[in-house]
Amino acid sequence: MRGRQSKQADEASVDLTPMLDVVFILLIFFIVTSTFIQEEALGLEPPPPPSQAESNPDDTAILVYVGEDNLITVNGRLTDIGGVRANMERLRAENPESALIIQAHPRARTGTIVKIRDEAYNAQMSRVNIVQSEG
Amino acid sequence: MARRKRILASDSSAEDDVNLTPMLDVVFILLIFFIVTAQFIKEPGVDISRTDVENAERQNPLGILIAIDEESDIYIDKEVVTLQEVGFRIRELREDNPKGRLVVQADEDSDAGVLISLMEIIYNEDGLTAVPVSVEKE
Repeated sequence: MRGRQSKQADEASVDLTPMLDVVFILLIFFIVTSTFIQEEALGLEPPPPPSQAESNPDDTAILVYVGEDNLITVNGRLTDIGGVRANMERLRAENPESALIIQAHPRARTGTIVKIRDEAYNAQMSRVNIVQSEG
Repeated sequence: MARRKRILASDSSAEDDVNLTPMLDVVFILLIFFIVTAQFIKEPGVDISRTDVENAERQNPLGILIAIDEESDIYIDKEVVTLQEVGFRIRELREDNPKGRLVVQADEDSDAGVLISLMEIIYNEDGLTAVPVSVEKE
């Protein structure tokens, strides 16, 4: 009599092992697939809408031009990536209000543009715009 | 005496049977955490060489990744996308991920014209005044 009773109690308690197996597999799946991609990024300003550019002509802007051959000119003066910051700071000292325009030829290297923008961050330039030249 | 012994024995066997319920609770909480936080970012799937710079900010949380490879082709979700389609694709991805940040992975050797046109489109779609471009910190 007692034996039968204990057997019944055994059957009543649900065996959780298979469910645990499934739950663990799900857990491992989600741990493995949750890719924590990390990206470090530098902010680049998009060109201003055409209407704004026309209504707001910056005649005192510092113009950094990057040509098709990746040659950098700052207000018409040829320089290299190491000299960009010095040139920018010199021109800003002459005219503290001036904005910075980075103008790139469509075929210029992206790396050069990003480097120049980085130099502008180092020089703490405000009001930076990145535009591309025609053709 | 014999009867007492048997009672004792059955008692200890009940204790031997480990109670799994608290562990199950913990496992379920972990499971739910990972399900909720699992953000399936669609990676562009191209290798790019990033520019080394001094100023960079970690972008968190990430949402949309757009890549420009060295041939100046635009990749979203392992597919080449034309400049005209990009706006539509961004809107599509924004439905799945309204809050994540958009990052452009532009190769050093890609054409700046493509990046600048892309930035214009992103500005029109997302209203970002500074488009994050993936870089490497020196």
